[in-house]
Amino acid sequence: MYYIDLAVTGVSFGCMYAIMAVGLTLVYGLLRILHIAHAAVFALGAYVTVLVANASGSILGGLIAAIVITPLFGMAIYRLLYEPLLKYRPDVPMVASVGLLVLMQDAFRVLFGEQGVTFRQNSLSFTTFDIAGVNISAVQIAIIVTTVVVFLGLHLFTTYTRIGVGWRATVSRPQIATSFGIDPIKVRYLNFAIGSALAAVAGGLVALLNNLVDPGIGFVVSYKALAIIVLGGLGSVQGTLVASLVLGLVEAYGTIFIGAWLDRDAIAFLALILLLMIRPQGFTGVRTA
Amino acid sequence: MSAYGISLVSIAGINVILAVSLNIISGFCGQISLGHAAFFGAGAYAAALTMIATANVPLALLAALIMGCALGIIVGFASLRVRSDFLAVTTIGVNFLFVGFVRKQGWLGGEMGISGIPATGFGATGNAIMIVALACMTIAFSLYMSRSWMGFAFRAVGEDESAAATLGINARAYKLAAFGIGTALAGLAGALYTFFTQFITVDSFDFVFSVMLLAMVVIGGVGSTWGVAVAAVGLTLLPEAIRFVNDYRLLVFGGMLVLVIRLAPGGLAALTRNLFARGKRV
Amino acid sequence: MLTYSLNSSSRGRKVLLGFASLVLLGAASMPAHAEIKIGFQVPQTGPAATDGKSAQIAGEVAADDINAAGGVLGQKVQLVTYDDQAKSDQAMFTANKLIGEDGVKLVVNASYSASGRAAAPVFQKAGVVMISAYGVHPDITRAGDYMFRLEHLGPPQGIAAAIYVGKKLGLKKISTITMDNDYGQATMEGFTEAAPKYGIQVINKYSYSLKDRQFGSIVASVKRDNPDGIYATGYFFTAGPLVAQLRAAGITVPIIGSQAFDSAKFIEIAGPAAEGTYIIDSFDRDRKDEALEKFFAEFKQRAGYPPEGVATETYSAVRLMADAIKRANSAEPDKVRDALAATKDYPLLEGKLIGFNKLHEMIMTVPVNVIKEGKFVPAGEVDDLDAIAPPEK
Repeated sequence: MYYIDLAVTGVSFGCMYAIMAVGLTLVYGLLRILHIAHAAVFALGAYVTVLVANASGSILGGLIAAIVITPLFGMAIYRLLYEPLLKYRPDVPMVASVGLLVLMQDAFRVLFGEQGVTFRQNSLSFTTFDIAGVNISAVQIAIIVTTVVVFLGLHLFTTYTRIGVGWRATVSRPQIATSFGIDPIKVRYLNFAIGSALAAVAGGLVALLNNLVDPGIGFVVSYKALAIIVLGGLGSVQGTLVASLVLGLVEAYGTIFIGAWLDRDAIAFLALILLLMIRPQGFTGVRTA
Repeated sequence: MSAYGISLVSIAGINVILAVSLNIISGFCGQISLGHAAFFGAGAYAAALTMIATANVPLALLAALIMGCALGIIVGFASLRVRSDFLAVTTIGVNFLFVGFVRKQGWLGGEMGISGIPATGFGATGNAIMIVALACMTIAFSLYMSRSWMGFAFRAVGEDESAAATLGINARAYKLAAFGIGTALAGLAGALYTFFTQFITVDSFDFVFSVMLLAMVVIGGVGSTWGVAVAAVGLTLLPEAIRFVNDYRLLVFGGMLVLVIRLAPGGLAALTRNLFARGKRV
Repeated sequence: MLTYSLNSSSRGRKVLLGFASLVLLGAASMPAHAEIKIGFQVPQTGPAATDGKSAQIAGEVAADDINAAGGVLGQKVQLVTYDDQAKSDQAMFTANKLIGEDGVKLVVNASYSASGRAAAPVFQKAGVVMISAYGVHPDITRAGDYMFRLEHLGPPQGIAAAIYVGKKLGLKKISTITMDNDYGQATMEGFTEAAPKYGIQVINKYSYSLKDRQFGSIVASVKRDNPDGIYATGYFFTAGPLVAQLRAAGITVPIIGSQAFDSAKFIEIAGPAAEGTYIIDSFDRDRKDEALEKFFAEFKQRAGYPPEGVATETYSAVRLMADAIKRANSAEPDKVRDALAATKDYPLLEGKLIGFNKLHEMIMTVPVNVIKEGKFVPAGEVDDLDAIAPPEK
């Protein structure tokens, strides 16, 4: 029972990380930029979900608002920050991205308060089910279901729809895709829009899980997401899912045992560094260095 | 000078050493490091333990230097394996590992930090003079290096490794050297910090501080010793001079970092050069 | 070296001019001329910003209340506020500023332990009186006789918890969950050491970091332990999620929390799960006390949320300082220090301050609250003053 409880925890963490990290993977796959400011997009999604839900009385309304607003934010980041910096070495947009994250975090503190925001009416966070002695909350179920939907959806989208195939083509063979008449700029915007919308979903789910959104929420997940996309093989969506689940499980079991030596962030980074040193291309990726 | 003025000078001096040393790694040699605070911290802790054990100032400085350098070279090896932006990620990881590890170690003070560190005996003014002297020496050293063959080699490696190889430059050795030198100086700054506060907690060496240091380098002008030194002093004094900046520090620093990269990537150094160049033309 | 080509130098010029003018503009901000200046260090930014905001507003309310009643010794009180970011170097730095630039002789440090610990020696050396409103590092008062603390230290709080859990609640097997910072660890140490004396057996210990909001592993482990009760240390932003997740997992045994749980926000976050949680050293809000009610209303109006421990302690610290000035009939630090040391039975917002011991640690009983129907309800107090006595040196 205990180990299954830990497994459920690990899987739901992992799913959450996966939805958030996908956006990062998509951007990296297309532009080779480490979009660390993605964590700010995630945090914005969380804040919007709570604030709109409180104002409108509907949690779903909050989530929808978040899904609509964050892509605009994500696309703006691309247009205003990354596009002009593409001609430089990859660490230039990355440092700019870090600066943006730090800036946004403080902005959240100033705009929404240090104490953070909570849902006013939220029975969802407190509903749990007991299935054969294992406790699982409604939110955890929602997270796992959402993850399945998202990844399945992405797979279907990129395999069977014209836009999706065009997108996939642009990532792997940009010149050929252009010669087929696919507009790479539109693909980039689409990329950021989808990644950001997913981050908003992840943000909303985390807000429901904790019933609290505070300014630091982005920072914590950003490091994990970085570790994940490296472990998963940069640019690979399946790799991201696998790496997320692995990290989630490692954390769930690991904090009990390694918790005396290192704190949780450090554990994620340790895994990241070790992997970067041993296998810089990650679990499933192709060597790019 | 008042105690306030002395402490202002001390902190500015320490930041100058940190920024200029980071510039050697990230500016001259092009290896972006977002974990410089970890080496600063390693030096601070080494100095703290040495002072408690021996109360010997030169020994503490040496211990800090060695600790910073050793840790830096280890991380330097990482730079040989991975590409620039992943190196940056690795350095972030190093920062977190350092903080996460120290937090849990009782002998390093854990959450409580190390307190009761013996004074240097120079007094606050004496410490400040030592800091300023070392800051000047660091600037001089950096300027010298910039004009020397080593500086040239660093820049070559930073800009184009394969081209550098054709000139017979051993990129790997120079990268390690850049890290070792830059982090040794950061460790030194750590010792000075320990002398100044006589009480250290691991929170002072976090990732956010590393970002601030890189911001100083970028804003000052990556690769320019003087630009970076001026930026370090300016950005230390700015929150003191302007209340608004103090209250919204991260917002301002993050914003400046983004704006400079986006609009004036050469930083202050390039801007001043441009200003004077224009002036001369007329 | 990274060399960039400049897109447009006129844009670049604008940036340079902007930067230069920013630095020049900042030149002088003259502090307002005031009568009695009380230095005030709060963490306005940084990880402690939530408590910093509460402390700042509480301090301002206190100063306003004092001035509305005519000030002290016929003079108005002015708070000289600096942000210490809850960091040791900034604490020292702002301390030097208060002493040097502002000429302050009396200070209230309303920040976390690292700040108080670093600032204390600086103030002591300058002969400036400092009251630590809620910092728990033991070395704060050890810095010297100008230092006072208006807060129960971590270990005595832990001992009080052990007494309450063991004697009042009669629980035997306890699982403990510690927050990994100085406050959380010190408090838990006090509990663990005192536990056997009151018939408590600590069956398992867990810990988490300040940044954690997800406690799945700990919750699963506690469920497996099947204890009689749970004792946890933490702040409201960790306690809220923790308690919610413990209850969601079907754990029904009593949860006893440490002082920093004490916040309306905790109830907000944990929702129905907060019901039945005991909080040690949580102040009695139900007391029929005009000053308390007035403060509650005023603070809530300014802050937008009801005050918690940090706010009341900070308010009390400022009021106590003013009271000591009055009793000393002078704002000279030596006299104020002596008046503070001689304090007897002073009514703090949190309860009665019996006095200070030789180390200038406060002597006071430890009240306990329990959450019933979303409100803080008094649930007794720990008054074994000998057992919870703070150190004398």
